[in-house]
Amino acid sequence: MESRKEEFEATCNLFINSVSNYFKHLTEIDSDMKVPYLKESDGLVLKDFTGMIGISGSRQGFVYISANREMFADLINLFIGIEDPSEEDILDMAGEISNVVAGNVRANLGANFMISVPTVFEGMPEELNIPENVSMYVIPIKWNNHEAFVVLGLD
Amino acid sequence: MKKRLLIVDDSSVMRRTIEKNLANYDMEIIGQAANGVEAVQMVMDKKPDVVTLDITMPEMDGIACLEEIMKINPETKVMIITALADKLTGLIALDRGARGFMYKPVNADDLSRAFDKLLKRDGE
Repeated sequence: MESRKEEFEATCNLFINSVSNYFKHLTEIDSDMKVPYLKESDGLVLKDFTGMIGISGSRQGFVYISANREMFADLINLFIGIEDPSEEDILDMAGEISNVVAGNVRANLGANFMISVPTVFEGMPEELNIPENVSMYVIPIKWNNHEAFVVLGLD
Repeated sequence: MKKRLLIVDDSSVMRRTIEKNLANYDMEIIGQAANGVEAVQMVMDKKPDVVTLDITMPEMDGIACLEEIMKINPETKVMIITALADKLTGLIALDRGARGFMYKPVNADDLSRAFDKLLKRDGE
């Protein structure tokens, strides 16, 4: 029987593959994954803009992708040719990439791995309901010279 | 006669990406909707021939929206474009009347291939 730790790591690998596929397929630029680490202390690792997805069903928790404005702006420019996107567009892009990365994991985990619509925010919101007792796995990534974090929190 | 296209996705960037990548097709984009409720209203008001439809959306999700669209006009050609990459979701969508199904992330080539098939299959 697969241990909880092995199960958690296997799930993390699904997210790593999902992020890699997103950037490769849409931008033809590979993303680099730095060494992932477990975050034990309280608080979130955040960049300027974040898209967060709630996870329910067979797993409980969340996943978010956080990056600075420039990374989301580069993606928007590649997709629709807007060089100076609005803040609304930046937040929209953060939500969409989080949605795609989380949704693609269902190819392996099935329909019981349920995801919410994205919650998007700039900076650190005053109110954010993060489940207690989750293990947070931080995956630092670099795409097109932009640094970002993919953070997976699972019960 | 130009086909009339409605684009439904809660992401504004995604809606504009689809619009841009389908610009070469002989279709008139009659509107965009950010959720299922808006989409159903636009289907009733504007009677599109083709709809691109996301699934994970607020207010009303894409599967419920698809069911409503099929009640209004079962001839509407609905192309699901979703991040939900499990087989069951795809089978449910096709069972409810979708004519095609794509997993995000979709690029310009993916959209072209899917729309070539969708429109060719119907002899258009």
